[in-house]
Amino acid sequence: MSKPVYDRTHHEKKAKGVGDPQCFAGQGGTPKFKVGDRVRIKDTPDLFYTRCQVYARGAEGVVTELVYESPPAEDEAWDNTENVEWFYSVVFAQKELWPEYSGTFGNDTLETEFSERWLESA
Amino acid sequence: MSETRDRVHRHLDTVGLMQPALHHQTHAPYPDAIDHTLFKAYTRSPHDVGGEADVPIVYEEKEEEVWELNTFVLCECLAWRGVWNAEERRRRQNVDLGQTQYLGLPYYGRWLLTAARILVDKQFVSLTELNDKIAEVKKRYE
Repeated sequence: MSKPVYDRTHHEKKAKGVGDPQCFAGQGGTPKFKVGDRVRIKDTPDLFYTRCQVYARGAEGVVTELVYESPPAEDEAWDNTENVEWFYSVVFAQKELWPEYSGTFGNDTLETEFSERWLESA
Repeated sequence: MSETRDRVHRHLDTVGLMQPALHHQTHAPYPDAIDHTLFKAYTRSPHDVGGEADVPIVYEEKEEEVWELNTFVLCECLAWRGVWNAEERRRRQNVDLGQTQYLGLPYYGRWLLTAARILVDKQFVSLTELNDKIAEVKKRYE
């Protein structure tokens, strides 16, 4: 068997002088959600790799920011940068995530990021 | 803390290590032994631990050791030279090595092991070359 040939420079060519994820700006299409939208985290398959935390599945939160455009972690983890998505910052009430969370701290929140594929309107 | 208290806590720690544990045979189970809940648990990413019950761990104020800093630089150089991107590095360091190594090895131990692994996987070095080099370096310390 011969050795596979990897292009070791394709990402460097794309990001040089621009930075990552800035080099993917404008490739994510029209964002499906806007700041203030109420969203639910989808519980779709995540075999082999994801960065969508399991504790957030099915929980509802509010979009606070459209953070950047980037290939989703599930693709980029195999160096596939063909499909770029919007990333969103979403804030949850801690009580929404943890049923036993103390009412004494009822206003506590947790904010974290998801790529667009993990969100649906709530 | 008094000598007695020291002895008491050492005793309690030691007894804790002797508690019997019940082990279930899980090597290559028959398919009907794995339901959806177990499949999900076995295939989950080892680093996705948010919300799992656990005991507190001791936080130690500690500087990085030289080999840890060198490992970090090595992994950054591999990215700079196009061998991997940060997300591929995370996948390999946090997920691909599995639960046992994820929890069993030091943080930068995982980085270092993964750096060696990607060089072999992408055939920048052969496993034969890597093992020969490890043997050669080991000899220097004999």
